[in-house]
Amino acid sequence: MFQILRKELKALVKDRRAMMLGLLMPIILISVFSLAFGGMGKESDNKTDLLVSDEDNSTTSKNVLQGLDSVKALAITRMPSDSAIDFVKKGKFSAVLILHKGFSDSVKNLRHLPWELKYDAAQSIQMQMMMQYIASSLFGNVGKTMTERMVMKRTQSQFAGMDSMTQLIAMAQVKKSMESNSGAIDDMQKNVMKIQSSPVEKQQDNAGIVQAVAGTAVMMLMFSLTAMGGRLLEEKENGTLKRLLCSPLTTGGILSGKMMASISFAVIQLLIMFSFSSTVFGLVLVPKLAAVLLLIIATAFACSSFGMFLAAIVKSRDQLQSLSTLAILSMSVIGGSMVPSFLMPSWMQSVGHVSINYWSIQGFFDIFQRQLPITDPVFLEKVGVLILFGLVLSTAAFRLFRKNVMSMA
Amino acid sequence: MIKVENITKSYGKTQAVKGISFSIPTGECYGLLGPNGAGKSTTINMLSMLFQPDSGQITINGMDIRTSTADIKRILGVVPQEIALYEKFTAWDNLLFWGGIYGVSGKELHTKAEELLKWVGLFDRRKDAVKDYSGGMKRRVNMACSLLHSPKVLLLDEPTVGVDPQSRNLIFELIHQLNKDGMTIIYTTHYMEEAEKLCRRVGIIDSGLIIAQGTLDELKLQSKVNDMIVIDCAHTPDEKFLAGKLGIDVSVHENTATILSSDSKKDLSKIVNTCTEAGYEINRIDIQKANLESVFLKMTGKQLRD
Repeated sequence: MFQILRKELKALVKDRRAMMLGLLMPIILISVFSLAFGGMGKESDNKTDLLVSDEDNSTTSKNVLQGLDSVKALAITRMPSDSAIDFVKKGKFSAVLILHKGFSDSVKNLRHLPWELKYDAAQSIQMQMMMQYIASSLFGNVGKTMTERMVMKRTQSQFAGMDSMTQLIAMAQVKKSMESNSGAIDDMQKNVMKIQSSPVEKQQDNAGIVQAVAGTAVMMLMFSLTAMGGRLLEEKENGTLKRLLCSPLTTGGILSGKMMASISFAVIQLLIMFSFSSTVFGLVLVPKLAAVLLLIIATAFACSSFGMFLAAIVKSRDQLQSLSTLAILSMSVIGGSMVPSFLMPSWMQSVGHVSINYWSIQGFFDIFQRQLPITDPVFLEKVGVLILFGLVLSTAAFRLFRKNVMSMA
Repeated sequence: MIKVENITKSYGKTQAVKGISFSIPTGECYGLLGPNGAGKSTTINMLSMLFQPDSGQITINGMDIRTSTADIKRILGVVPQEIALYEKFTAWDNLLFWGGIYGVSGKELHTKAEELLKWVGLFDRRKDAVKDYSGGMKRRVNMACSLLHSPKVLLLDEPTVGVDPQSRNLIFELIHQLNKDGMTIIYTTHYMEEAEKLCRRVGIIDSGLIIAQGTLDELKLQSKVNDMIVIDCAHTPDEKFLAGKLGIDVSVHENTATILSSDSKKDLSKIVNTCTEAGYEINRIDIQKANLESVFLKMTGKQLRD
């Protein structure tokens, strides 16, 4: 028994890279998950960008916006409404709060307030959290002013003709009565102060479904394609690679063939996943088919190259299995495949830009939530980044494979 | 047809091939004989163009492997040491794939695949997955896959490793047939009897060098060994003692002493007396005519073992 134990441990130690990965993998994954989700709820770490447009440009509107500046969870940028809406449409910012002309007058006259929140359709889940921050600041600020005006108005109408001292006492009574009977203030907040919020583009698909489908599809695709990259290592192990290298095929031809097979498989896998999601979850595919297909091809290329690259830097299938689990889970976490990126600290969201998952998921949000056309530069940027990922990783993979061809044979 | 001139190959600081030269005329079956690690596979890999020699030159059919790689690969068939087949595929699918890689297609490919499967006796099993075949059957398919493009030169790298005697004989017959049909063959092995049976000439390779080459008779002459006396003792005899006393080449493996003699009639009584004096209990004495094994032993001081 001890001989078996010793032999097994010796075999493990011999494959140092696999052993290191096996030991380091859980530590690295714990670190990545902790960094990604440990910051949840810490306002200072997780600022949400909010654009504001002050069309009223009054003292009241300026005071309201100053109040928002002090909310730690929000990073406020002032911008004219047209540009702001355009930025939100393209997903560059989450939302814009517009204070329309007449805001100050409405506060004074206790009329319905002309303010609205327009948000990125792809971030409707995030909006629910953002609304809490905005509401608590705005209602605290404007609400106080409007309550005082309401008290004064009621006092003046109910106690008209009385001397100023009596009116002051009456005002205090009215205020106390209103505060004890919160219904009046609630009614004001629900109706007069209600913020109209709507996405900048009409939503056709549920953001949660898009997140779930795109996130899962890209992550699972990476696992499949890494396994396909591993087939080259399998061919090395069973001697068929050597035989292929003896044939008139060139090294480049062999690798290109493998890459094409991987991309074809990836395209089919993604098409099946999205068709299933369309049938079962009602994801609207048909009017956006060309854009979906373009993004699928770009994603397939990037993920295939990623799989080939991982297979090129390892020396055995055991090593590939450990490394791919680590790399894919890490990329999936930071890229937003497992949970939406906005739940992570802002610095982690920036780190997510190195992940294929991020660009692919955002591309699918562009199509399904932001309703961007195939020609929109914002959508094409994501396609371009994915192709760039593919080119860099496949070039590196090809070079590494060529370098290792002799040892493969 | 094949000309190898002073080729060398190193892996890091280890020189695997130290300057090998040989030439093989068209239609000859040439054997490369040597123990594991002698440099046979490195030589075959250079001939297969898996990598280039560090120095020296190889020409096949008048074409230099450095400049005419693609052209040479089309006339070259390689039967690797490994069973380099897709085990989940059927034999038929394997043949179609490997034929296709060499540019054979359509009806020609199907006809050739059918011919070859019949030739190796596996046409009836063509639809079975290779993983369900015996070792010998896999070896036959392995060979057939290298012949679909009708190569002019066939490199066989230990093609009978791990096969049963029946399959081994069948493979010998197939190789004989190919050679008879005019194919030039290089056959590497560490089985003496295979090289003796199949090859007209043999190159003995050891430690990265060809230490002798020629026909069996030529090698016998070079080694000056005519007989091989094999003595089985009850206990392991002392190799150094016997060699010192007899003054001729002795090799001991376990309880068996192999003694190379230019004249067994002259040496036999001296050998028996020496063993008796040393107290070795002799169980059996076998006198064999010189063969490749004795030549190899004489030239390298090593025995080839399975």
